[in-house]
Amino acid sequence: MKKIDYSMIFIFLTLFAILSCTQKDLNTYTVPVEYHKLDNGLKIIFSQDKTTPIVTVAVYYNIGFRIEPRDRTGFAHLFEHMMFQGSQNLGKMEFIKLVQSNGGILNGSTRFDFTNYFEIIPAHKLETMLWAEADRMRGLAITQENLTNQQGVVINEVKVNIHNQPYGGFPWLDMPQYANENWYNAHNFYGELSDIEQATLKDVQKFFNTYYSPNNAALVIVGDFESADALNLVKKYFGDIPAVDMPQLPDISEPRQEKEKRFFKEDKLATKPALAFAYHVPDRLTPEYFAMGLIDQILLQGEDSWLYQSLVQENGFTDNVNGGINALLGNMFNYNGPILWMASLKHDQEITPDSIIYKIDEQVERLRNNPINKATLDRALIKTRSNLYSILSQYWGFGRADVLACFALFDDNPNYINNLEDGFRKVTPQLIQQTAQESLRPTNRTVLLVKSESSKM
Amino acid sequence: MVKNMPKAVLIIISLLLFSYAQEQTPPPGGTPKDFNLPQKKSFSLENGLKITLVPFGTVPKVDVRLVVRVGKINEQEDEVGLADLTTDFFKEGTQTRSAKDIAEQAAQIGGEINVSTGPDQTSVGGVSLSEFAPQLIELLADILQNPNFPQTELARLKKDYIRQLSIEKSRPQSQAMERFRKLLYPAHPYGRIYPDEELIDSYDINRIKDFYSKNFSAKITHLYVVGLFDENKVEITIRDNLSGWNTGHKHLELVPEPVSQRKIHLIDRPEAPQSTIIIGLPVIDPSHEDYIALQVTDALLGGSFASRITSNIREDKGYTYSPRSSVSTRYRDSFWMQQADVAMEFTGASLKEIFYEIDRLQNQPPAEDELQGIKNYLAGVFVLQNSSRTGIIDQLSFLDLHGLPDSYLTNYVQNIYKVTPENVQRVTKKLLRDEEMTIVIVGDIKKIKNQIESYGKLVF
Repeated sequence: MKKIDYSMIFIFLTLFAILSCTQKDLNTYTVPVEYHKLDNGLKIIFSQDKTTPIVTVAVYYNIGFRIEPRDRTGFAHLFEHMMFQGSQNLGKMEFIKLVQSNGGILNGSTRFDFTNYFEIIPAHKLETMLWAEADRMRGLAITQENLTNQQGVVINEVKVNIHNQPYGGFPWLDMPQYANENWYNAHNFYGELSDIEQATLKDVQKFFNTYYSPNNAALVIVGDFESADALNLVKKYFGDIPAVDMPQLPDISEPRQEKEKRFFKEDKLATKPALAFAYHVPDRLTPEYFAMGLIDQILLQGEDSWLYQSLVQENGFTDNVNGGINALLGNMFNYNGPILWMASLKHDQEITPDSIIYKIDEQVERLRNNPINKATLDRALIKTRSNLYSILSQYWGFGRADVLACFALFDDNPNYINNLEDGFRKVTPQLIQQTAQESLRPTNRTVLLVKSESSKM
Repeated sequence: MVKNMPKAVLIIISLLLFSYAQEQTPPPGGTPKDFNLPQKKSFSLENGLKITLVPFGTVPKVDVRLVVRVGKINEQEDEVGLADLTTDFFKEGTQTRSAKDIAEQAAQIGGEINVSTGPDQTSVGGVSLSEFAPQLIELLADILQNPNFPQTELARLKKDYIRQLSIEKSRPQSQAMERFRKLLYPAHPYGRIYPDEELIDSYDINRIKDFYSKNFSAKITHLYVVGLFDENKVEITIRDNLSGWNTGHKHLELVPEPVSQRKIHLIDRPEAPQSTIIIGLPVIDPSHEDYIALQVTDALLGGSFASRITSNIREDKGYTYSPRSSVSTRYRDSFWMQQADVAMEFTGASLKEIFYEIDRLQNQPPAEDELQGIKNYLAGVFVLQNSSRTGIIDQLSFLDLHGLPDSYLTNYVQNIYKVTPENVQRVTKKLLRDEEMTIVIVGDIKKIKNQIESYGKLVF
């Protein structure tokens, strides 16, 4: 395809190989983790990093949009907004102003299996934010006016991200609805506008009483602080918040998919067709799960990936193909239930979806038919390690807090963060092939095709 | 407020207040810790290429970015998009590496490579595991200095670019921004965001090669390395791999003279459930003495979550989800704008509230404590901006672009705290002149026309 000086490349490759051998064990990183639990069940995770005088305070509640009430789609997310609307000692806008006027930033988000709230603040304001998070864990103080206001905000959020946007909701909101069978995994979790409109103050209070208790939460502090002081403060502010009995969780399991599914979506705002595909992945933290993480690296992550090389570089179908495990809503470490490995691309009208799927299958079948060689495995491992370190330094302390909170909430073991590299290292070429044979079966796949209104520019 | 609450909630609150009555106000926290900007080491090569190394962090990764003073500003009127298309070729091969080599070698060091072009600057950057910093630098240096522009890839890259543009131009936010920029910069490259398809089709490989050789060189390039890395090895690699590049000439100086008139420019989007609004006008650039006061003003007015416009049209009225104001800067140029995607039926009401808040700040200085809160916020954000690998590079290349001294950063927090309520009022009056603001709205014209005609002359 291109003029290449092969001798030069050989030298570079050898150089790389030598370096990766000799330096293999250099520069690994262990996340400092300190784990405590209060009598009321609140899980507390500390991870110090004194690079800069800031701290991240993150409170995770073990309630995501997956298990929101059946007649209230989008409610878990609407509720997240209500957590900013007022608590016992902080009225409307006061929480936000408290964070900002103390030099911090804040946000919250709702995902499959948790809802989180976090602040990144100057280190000496730790106590201020612990007080404020404890205040809203104790109880909300919300009026009908606040609720009506946030229903308006959330409806506008759905409109700006979905209804007035080409490819709105594609594929992140759409695909789980097509690929999954169990309502808990397959409903519209941004919410039908009519459901959002019908939410009542009573719903808000009930949801809070059911899920927002210390025994259903994890508190993470990352950054520049002293553990003993921080623990005392956490005890002082959170220690007397009562635990409540948790309801039994619904069955969120997915049946094994036995037949390929294919769906079309009309998008009047889109100018080009698009294609997405998804496969159900192996259960969390099993050997096959780690193999699936490496498969994701081999097939999809980065420009060296097989799908990028085939679909972009060689066949010119698209300028990019992207996705991943729990793509667009998180990563492979922050969910707790059935999840998809998903990817999508946009293409021109004259390329048929079948010709794209044919080329996707070509790459997937390579993985299912033969074990990968060592060089491919090594490269996938390096990419995985680098990606993990990126997550650990993402968005100041937040990326790290996120993984720690999830392993505390879902597995009662935040230290697991330091076992991840090992989990990937144990994966063999044979296990990758076996995992591909089961999980990348054509019958385990759902394809979603976006039909655009016009192909004109 | 409390009157509207159901009984059950009231009971819970009174119980809690009883047991918790002693903690009514937030604890102030401890004493502030010192924040020092990360130490940097700067030097130049003989060909004029500048280098800044900043050891930073605890996680073993490193960010490397070559920032070249080339961008859309270098495009002639018949060259729109040429900078983008030229840099799209950077990952397509060098004299000694194929596209696949580049991709695989980047992956081999846990790396990613990103090439992007802005109004004034092009970045060729990447991130890798710390142990491979020299390899990453070597790879990026090759990509920037030795692209081989394979003719075989031209048709594909054009097709990709045309497809991306088609999608980008179907987003209401992009449509609004394209029109806004065209209005502010009628005869300047900053006003030409998107090329049309025919123009892209007209570029042949020689145009692209010429654009590269005319514009890219060592003298206008700054290399930043931030993260954990072996300083000696990195310095040797830099000298070995970048000293041979041609010096070239000074960057192009083409300062625009932006214009603005109070008119409402409409782009029809039938059946749109929301109206996408941009309101703004040219303001002062970062080299101006009032720039920091303008930043404070912007954060208080619309540029932060607790700002007045956000409090009003989001948290009070619920018209919109993500309103925001900002100061957007280029070399010796900038504009201020307020953006919002508002519910169609509240388009006029949103304009009313936005102008109400601007007028209010023109007519009355903010209260001391409101301003203090905003200053604390900006001081905190400053620490965050200088506390991540990419943030540090962004800050340093900002100084470099605008020709600002290091003291801009070292005195920044101090200068934030010097801004008075009267400064904010004065800056609002002087710079945020609503009678001159350009308004662009993408929405369902039929449905919004009557709501908005009292806010300016409509232009279709």
